[in-house]
Amino acid sequence: MQMHPMKRIELIIEKVPYNRACRVLEAVGMTGYTVMPAMAGYGGGNRWTRESDLSASRDMVVIVSVGEAHRVTEAMEQISSLLGDHIGIVTVTDVEVLRPDRF
Amino acid sequence: MDVAISTLLSPIILFFALGMGAALLRSQMSIPEAFAKGLAIYLMMAIGLKGGVEMSKNPLTLDVILMLGAGVLLSFMMPIIAYAFLRITTKLSQTDAAATAAHYGSISIVTFVAATEAVRMSGLDSSGHMVAVAALMETPAIITALILANRGKKREKAVVGSEQGELVREVALNASIVVLVGALIIGWIAGEEGTASISPFFVTMFQGVLCLFLLDMGLSAGRGLRQGWRQLSAATVGFGIYMPLVAAVLTAGLGFMLGASTGDTALLITLAASASYIAVPAAMRLALPKANPSVYLTLSLGVTFPFNVTIGIPIYIFLATLVTG
Repeated sequence: MQMHPMKRIELIIEKVPYNRACRVLEAVGMTGYTVMPAMAGYGGGNRWTRESDLSASRDMVVIVSVGEAHRVTEAMEQISSLLGDHIGIVTVTDVEVLRPDRF
Repeated sequence: MDVAISTLLSPIILFFALGMGAALLRSQMSIPEAFAKGLAIYLMMAIGLKGGVEMSKNPLTLDVILMLGAGVLLSFMMPIIAYAFLRITTKLSQTDAAATAAHYGSISIVTFVAATEAVRMSGLDSSGHMVAVAALMETPAIITALILANRGKKREKAVVGSEQGELVREVALNASIVVLVGALIIGWIAGEEGTASISPFFVTMFQGVLCLFLLDMGLSAGRGLRQGWRQLSAATVGFGIYMPLVAAVLTAGLGFMLGASTGDTALLITLAASASYIAVPAAMRLALPKANPSVYLTLSLGVTFPFNVTIGIPIYIFLATLVTG
């Protein structure tokens, strides 16, 4: 079975501005992404949970997208500017996919 | 004194205390998130409808318009006072102080509901248009806070991926405002007769659902306080207690000038003394991401909200009685 190299971008980002990141991924031509809610976490010396904030303003989401290297690089440049002072972590990893025509 | 005791011993407040105590004792008890959101929507609809029906019974007079104007003015001005206190008495940065000030200019609808119940238990009448005042007071504070936060700073370029009107939508069309104002208008149009068929759901069940919601609020406030108390200095915690009292005294004076009824004055004081923890935090994350949410959320939900629903409301009713004679 032949596998094909791709890049996987993962953003752990605040829920409030996550739509901005989604728009960037769409604009650079990523063919798809998945958004997942985060339950709880720790960072900046604070623990947070979805349960302690009625406004949902501190909720975090995880966005995962897989695509060709040049698109991921372009997305990273824009996301870097988008994140600014927002809380978030962005990682890019090498992955292999089964069906390259999907990307 | 009787008002204070009956407020403190009402099931609503006792359920809040149960939730807060359970959270502080690290109980695993929780209300499912989607259910809690449903409860919030139900409460907004019930409050809006009730206010709308009451408004349909009375014409829109100059007194009502003045009361609406007073609410907007308070929401615009209160962040300036809160910001000044925060900058003088705490070490919060310009951004943190402005974001926190926005919460204290905006309102807490649950505190308003608790005050409405306390006013009713005190044998006082309040008007339906106070719900409209509450809705109008949600957003002006955010505008003032953004001006305070960006004072002396260069205008920043639009953020990548942002849409035009994104912040305005978040501020003016957030779920609580849409449901509250929408239900208010529906209640106003339908009137008492038109809403009679749905009143078993929105009127009879209201108190019970409010207890459930306050239980969840107690859990949220307790967990927020447990997780965020390290971010608050003694001066900041002090602000969470004295700011509602400062707002209350100033608003009592305004209530006196307006010549409003004791019940309406008590509710206006409560609105000015309450701090937002639903609409404003989301707007602040979008507009002022540099501000620390642990400070403003812990303060408004963990300190000011419990203070208001237990000790504050009886004080505000007493103040209103004092100024309206």
